Amino acid sequence: MKPQLTLQTPLELPHQEITNYLNQLWISEDEDSSGANTFTLMVWQPAWLEQCLVQSGLISGPITGTLSPEIIKIAKNLIIDKGLSHTTSIYSEELLTLLKENLSNNDFEDFRGQFFESSISTLNPRRLITLAPTLNKESEIKTFVSAYCPLSENTITQPICGDLVVIRGDSNSIKKKGLKIIDDLSIKDLPSWLWWNGNLDESQEIFNYFTDQGIRLIIDTANGSPKRCLKILYQSIKLNKAINDLNWVRLKSWRESLAMIFDPPSRRPVLDHISDIDVDIAEGNFLQALLLISWISDKLKWEFSKIDKHGELIKIEFKRNNGEKISTCINPVPLGNPSIHSGQVIGLRLISKISEVRKNNTCVILGCESVECMRLEAGGMADMQLIEQVVPNAFSSSESDVSNLLGSSRGNTSPLFENAIKVAVQIFNGFNK
Amino acid sequence: MPSTLSNPLRLGLRQERVIPPQCLIIFGASGDLTHRKLIPALFELYLQRRIPSEFAIVGCARRPWSDQDFKEKMKTKLADQISENEKEWEQFSNYLFYEPVDLQQSDHVVRLSKRLNEIDKIQATHGNKTFYLSVSPNFYGSGCKALKAAGLIDDPKKSRIVIEKPFGRDYSSAKKLNKIVQSCADESQIYRIDHYLGKETVQNILVMRFANTIFEPIWNRNYISSVQITSSETVGVEDRAGYYESSGALRDMLQNHLTQMLAVTAMEPPGKFEPEAIRNEKAKVLQASKLADENEPWNCCIRGQYAKGGNSLKRLKGYRDEDGVNLNSTTETYIATKVFIDNWRWQGVPFYLRTGKRLPKRLGEIVLTFKDVPVHLFESTIINPAPNQLILRIQPNEGATFKFEVKSPGSGMKSRPVEMEFSYDESFGEPSDEGYVRLLADAMLSDPTLFTRSDEVEAAWKLYTPLIELMEDSPWKLPIHKYESMTWGPPESDQLLSKDNIFWRRP
Repeated sequence: MKPQLTLQTPLELPHQEITNYLNQLWISEDEDSSGANTFTLMVWQPAWLEQCLVQSGLISGPITGTLSPEIIKIAKNLIIDKGLSHTTSIYSEELLTLLKENLSNNDFEDFRGQFFESSISTLNPRRLITLAPTLNKESEIKTFVSAYCPLSENTITQPICGDLVVIRGDSNSIKKKGLKIIDDLSIKDLPSWLWWNGNLDESQEIFNYFTDQGIRLIIDTANGSPKRCLKILYQSIKLNKAINDLNWVRLKSWRESLAMIFDPPSRRPVLDHISDIDVDIAEGNFLQALLLISWISDKLKWEFSKIDKHGELIKIEFKRNNGEKISTCINPVPLGNPSIHSGQVIGLRLISKISEVRKNNTCVILGCESVECMRLEAGGMADMQLIEQVVPNAFSSSESDVSNLLGSSRGNTSPLFENAIKVAVQIFNGFNK
Repeated sequence: MPSTLSNPLRLGLRQERVIPPQCLIIFGASGDLTHRKLIPALFELYLQRRIPSEFAIVGCARRPWSDQDFKEKMKTKLADQISENEKEWEQFSNYLFYEPVDLQQSDHVVRLSKRLNEIDKIQATHGNKTFYLSVSPNFYGSGCKALKAAGLIDDPKKSRIVIEKPFGRDYSSAKKLNKIVQSCADESQIYRIDHYLGKETVQNILVMRFANTIFEPIWNRNYISSVQITSSETVGVEDRAGYYESSGALRDMLQNHLTQMLAVTAMEPPGKFEPEAIRNEKAKVLQASKLADENEPWNCCIRGQYAKGGNSLKRLKGYRDEDGVNLNSTTETYIATKVFIDNWRWQGVPFYLRTGKRLPKRLGEIVLTFKDVPVHLFESTIINPAPNQLILRIQPNEGATFKFEVKSPGSGMKSRPVEMEFSYDESFGEPSDEGYVRLLADAMLSDPTLFTRSDEVEAAWKLYTPLIELMEDSPWKLPIHKYESMTWGPPESDQLLSKDNIFWRRP
């Protein structure tokens, strides 16, 4: 997707004048250009890694807020050069801390909020507000305003226009002034979304401000501590607030592939005799695997029994309503070139024991690569009836996932996700018992 | 333990599009189609949670029913479907309204307009309206005019008209009707429904052809020797004699359902999976289609009419003995024809289409027969090696079969045919939606992909014009051949193919 540019160079305006300016912008003799009647999208766009790389002179500016292949490549090389573990996430605090040692403190052009992918622009958001916190801790609030009219492939359709606002400043000034500006900019009759495109552990006050407003949330639980992420998820469903998680969205092909295996009616009895599930993940955050296991257990109506940590392994036990035990295990695997998303599922093995005779039992293996399938096959799995499939972890960009969510959401939390969250929270709380 | 009757891991995974707030107005609400197909399809959409809370269904017909009457009539007619979901039906029936309307009376339409405004406010349907013309085809033109006059279809973004088949009686009447309808509404507002296109298996033809690399390279005249398209029914005319006497198998089935299957089978790949791109390709292939012998069409078409039949346990009446049928009727209940497509892909490949009532099986299928191998190296266990065939089963037992030769076990090197099977039941284990479920939802979602555009309809009528003219001007040249009920049509139909050294597939 190509980035969508604004119609005009964003205009820097004192924040007190923004509302008035935007109101004037859409007052026109032509009724049709009164702006899209869709939704407001707010984006928390810290882009700390990009800011650090630009400030360190490792990449040339301007700062765009887009995680380009160049940024990923340089960050991964840095992880190796700086002697960090190969499994270190490019979002990790360790990497940022190292980068922050050599910042130039120069001013660089900052285009955050002025670029957005056409997949989002074609949804015609009425207002895009970008919160762009700066590394510089003494940076006063600056606000920019612009209008945009995405070009439609359908030439007959009248362009549907929107506006965008960028609020830039250090985190403290965003907290003190930026949130007030957002308050003034909200369009009461339209739904509002917040895409928190950053770590969920940071800037909690700002995040909490949005959750208190009842805004629909898009987060990525691969980017935050499991405890904090689960708390956010649980609070949202408890208060009946719509929440979407890109980490859950990235599980889609795993859920679909597993369901597909049991579409033929002849295979369905296997589900009633599952005894073991092993989920391999790339080292890091185990939340995605936990959500996957929670989804399976919810669908198969298993009851959670206990959770234990054995070194890096997380073992979770369930019970079927006939009392049979199901053992599941989350197994972090060190990878040479892990995904940029921490703790992604790379393999799943499901064993169903229908008889004492091994060859009558079934083993389902899903792996992100055939090598992973072979790894999971070890230990005599081939003695059973083996169903194997490669589920490539081909990730689309976060912008594209966000656009899909915005385009397909019914304004509430997906019931599947909601149920998986409930089970995941119950399991996680088991750690404390 | 979870029920394994349905796949528990599949539940909730399908992300269906949600219909926007909407008022669906059904003209002909007292007719058969409403309670047999439309309301059950809408109720199914409700059970699938695809109907928004801002929704209304307004039944319109001449009968002086009230809202309550309409609800009760539908409940009675749908008793079997409702029995398992009574609570849901009670909620669903809150969407049902009724307004007595004669579309020919302008004051009725004005009254309807007012009622729709009231319902729009009560149900918050945001002014979105879909008008479904389930009325006699004679009233399609005047119905559209009445809606236009009342200002009900002025907003092309918020209003749509769904028109049932048959759309016209021949090329000129279809053209005339298109002109009238297009003078009332933009083409983008007109949804000409052909429920065959709503069938999962018909849509699957597109996916099989264009989502796999193996089929498309051989899907042409270089590899395919002939194509057979069959749609057969076991039932007779039943209580539709009034309609059927003036339509017959050509107008009732061949011009629409079978020709749409032909279009989907033979079309070129569209540039994009977008409504207009697909409809362009379908229109192009229909425009390139012609009867195998346009000058002497009696050489490429066989008409038949079912005679009595059955057995001692169940005697079946002949067509002319059915209630409401003229004793000397020459209406065809069976038709078979041979068509060529004049384009690069299909030049010289015969497409045989047949449809009929009172045939031994109810089925729809498309059979692609591949060319013989250039040299027969192996002896066959049967007389000759069977040509490869790809059989796409539209209904029932939906799926596909690929027939090919393998070595017959044993010490010799003889070949024999085997079959590779794909069955919807075995692969997915869940029934697919009725065509109307998909098509009603698509119309309300303003997605015209599976509806026929004016040029497609006209091209389909044009294709059969020589036959229609012949039937009207010199019917003796295209005689009606009798066939015993529950047989595969008149023997003359077999001769249509045997001239080309081909046989109808016996399903």
